[in-house]
Amino acid sequence: MATFDVHVIIENKPGISDPEGETILNDLVLKGTHSVISKIKTAKMLKFTIKEKDKKSAKTKVQEICDELRIYNPMVSKVTIDVFDA
Amino acid sequence: MSLEPQELDELTSKIGRKPTSTELQIVAAEWSEHCSYKSSKKHLKMLPMKGPLVISEKGYDSGVLDVGDGYVITAHIESHNHPSAVEPYGGAATGVGGVIRDILSTGTRPIALFDGLRFGDIEKDLQARWLFKNAVTGIADYGNCLGIPTIGGEVEFDECYSNYALVDVAAIGFGKKKNLIKNHAKKGDLVVLLGGSTGRDGIGGSQFASDSLESENRSAVQIPDPFIEKLIIEAILEARNQNLIHAMKDLGGGGLSCAVSETADALSIGIEMDVNKVHTRESDMNPDEIMVSESQERMLIVTNNEKLKKLQEICKKFRIACSVIGHVTSDNMMHVKKGKKTCANLPTDVVANATLLDRPSKKPAYLENIEKEKKLKPILDYTKMMMKFIASPNIASKIWVYGQYDHEVGIRTTVKPGKDASVLRLDNGKFLAAKIDGNPKHCYVNPREGVIGCFEEACRNVVCTGAKPIGMLDHLQFGNPENPEIFWTFLESLKGITDFAKYFEIPCVGGKVSLYNETPSGPIKPTPIIGILGLIDKNPLYSKKIIAGDCLIIIGDTKNEMGGSEYFEYIHKFIGGKCPIVNFQESKTNMNLVLDVIGKDLLKTAHDCSKGGLAVAVSELCMTHEIGCNVSLEKVPGPKLDVDRVLFSESHSRYLLVLEKKNLKKLEELSKKSKVSYKMIGVFGGENIRFNKENKHVIDLRVDKAQKTWFNSLRELVHG
Repeated sequence: MATFDVHVIIENKPGISDPEGETILNDLVLKGTHSVISKIKTAKMLKFTIKEKDKKSAKTKVQEICDELRIYNPMVSKVTIDVFDA
Repeated sequence: MSLEPQELDELTSKIGRKPTSTELQIVAAEWSEHCSYKSSKKHLKMLPMKGPLVISEKGYDSGVLDVGDGYVITAHIESHNHPSAVEPYGGAATGVGGVIRDILSTGTRPIALFDGLRFGDIEKDLQARWLFKNAVTGIADYGNCLGIPTIGGEVEFDECYSNYALVDVAAIGFGKKKNLIKNHAKKGDLVVLLGGSTGRDGIGGSQFASDSLESENRSAVQIPDPFIEKLIIEAILEARNQNLIHAMKDLGGGGLSCAVSETADALSIGIEMDVNKVHTRESDMNPDEIMVSESQERMLIVTNNEKLKKLQEICKKFRIACSVIGHVTSDNMMHVKKGKKTCANLPTDVVANATLLDRPSKKPAYLENIEKEKKLKPILDYTKMMMKFIASPNIASKIWVYGQYDHEVGIRTTVKPGKDASVLRLDNGKFLAAKIDGNPKHCYVNPREGVIGCFEEACRNVVCTGAKPIGMLDHLQFGNPENPEIFWTFLESLKGITDFAKYFEIPCVGGKVSLYNETPSGPIKPTPIIGILGLIDKNPLYSKKIIAGDCLIIIGDTKNEMGGSEYFEYIHKFIGGKCPIVNFQESKTNMNLVLDVIGKDLLKTAHDCSKGGLAVAVSELCMTHEIGCNVSLEKVPGPKLDVDRVLFSESHSRYLLVLEKKNLKKLEELSKKSKVSYKMIGVFGGENIRFNKENKHVIDLRVDKAQKTWFNSLRELVHG
């Protein structure tokens, strides 16, 4: 068994509006002089530390937990899971 | 998203050619049940919609009532059932947003919100609990961000809503009569789209709402943005004050397709628009997507060239986008272009008026034997049963829900949630009481009498604050109308509402029909909701503290009407029996008497007797006022009944009145004069709620213990 860090990024699916990201873009970033920025999206990241036999099963386990506990709503959110050695 | 084959043939023959893909999308959205009301519209005409206070104007999305002194109130009810069933937070929140824009579109400021929520059995069903929790948070977050108080509603749980949710939202607006938007437009006027950008969210939402929910694989989810909504409200009201708006419509189900075609049809004009002018969230959206997107927080406004500049300045000030997407023509056509290319060119009356259907109806087979009662297991200990009963989700206090809503912002709320009806202060010195009620358990057992009961209950609730009902909203929620048995229940409900409304001269000022409410295990129970608006000319009845020695009076007879009662369904797990029936004459006399005694300032408080029967109604009074009461069950007026029937029958037209002993005589005189059934059944005092028969305590509860259970059980259930 090894220890892994699993990062779960939850964001709105593409095409669904993101009021928080849009507000940060329009009311903070573009109000300065940062016109090179064209888009900001907000997301939530959960960092899991998990003991598993390998990276693959660490990822699967975390995915299962998120699905089962409804940590995100599959109707709205896109989920990206990355695994790192702890 | 597509039309039925026969609808496609019809469209083709009406326009004399094959429709383009954009035309198909537009018509599919507009001809969906959700937008066209094709199953129900023919029948809805039976409802009385006129009255001395009703102001009607073409193209209004909400009902308008004249409350005197140059002021009006507006009201509307909507549901967001399908979206809330898959994404409760966003679905419920965007439902609130939609109904607020309906109020705004008449040119009035939204001043209060209501919500009616229904879910599966939250005691057992984790999914129902998740839906419940998130829908409540969605409503709270949206309303609280906008600074509009959520002042009432109802919550109910029933297994028939498993894996589903009914989220009904109603809103009330207030404004000056002279500021109402008089929808009109003439050739050359400009069509402006104002508010949030158009994106791919919620594409096909109205179609989605017109299908049964079978799979979760849908993309019709909308994301709420209350801050844009707030800016839209302020911008529109400022534009209204400067007289810049000729006509206005909110974008709801069906998006631009419906807003453009319905505006054009209602005003007998044509509209030519260019999808390239619509401000979009993504650059690669095609015309079809732009026309049917149900992105939230958007309004369609008709103005003219001279006023445009001022409108743009207002939008700039509030930092909301606004684009001129087209102009008014005189050819009654809805002409959608992309640059120079025509995508759709349809007569507006064809788009906006789907062929109305005459669906077959048949009395459901289940109703044959529904009134037959099964033999019930005897209750050995009513006290124990009562404690379980007041902790049950349907009876328990809903403070966990309304406690999350800001119900005081705007400082109009003079009677707050948790009472029979909430009351709002109006600027002309009058008060408005409002309440929504539904009772699917009664409506399942008897669709007609059930809905009349809901109607009367909502009236009773506003009457308890001293208000006279002046207008009604109905929201008819049923399963798949293609099933003749379901359609029969719809028609019965509608007839019931019509009869009661006509007898009491309460006009229907608005409503909604939501069909295809099907869960994986079948249709929902018939769930019509009735909203009542009541006007108080002088002062509402503010509850005074009940003290020892105060008298408890009941108005109205308690009958053997247990069908669909909480007692049968929750305690005995039995669905059936005889549904409570409202006697119109008796109902009117009782209502008038209660209004009369409130007007004469004889009462400390008034409470209606409904869900859970007399036992629950008396306990609620005791728990709210933290005082005991001794009730003699023998004294309860009505036919001689077994003790459980007296305690738990949900007979209508009953009111509990509390008054000081010295006012008893005056009440007696008034009651005798109006010939109502009336009796003093108890005296307040002590620390126990006791229901007595033949000198024995049938129920004996400590008030403090009962109150703790009643207040906390819902919260404990949700938070585990």
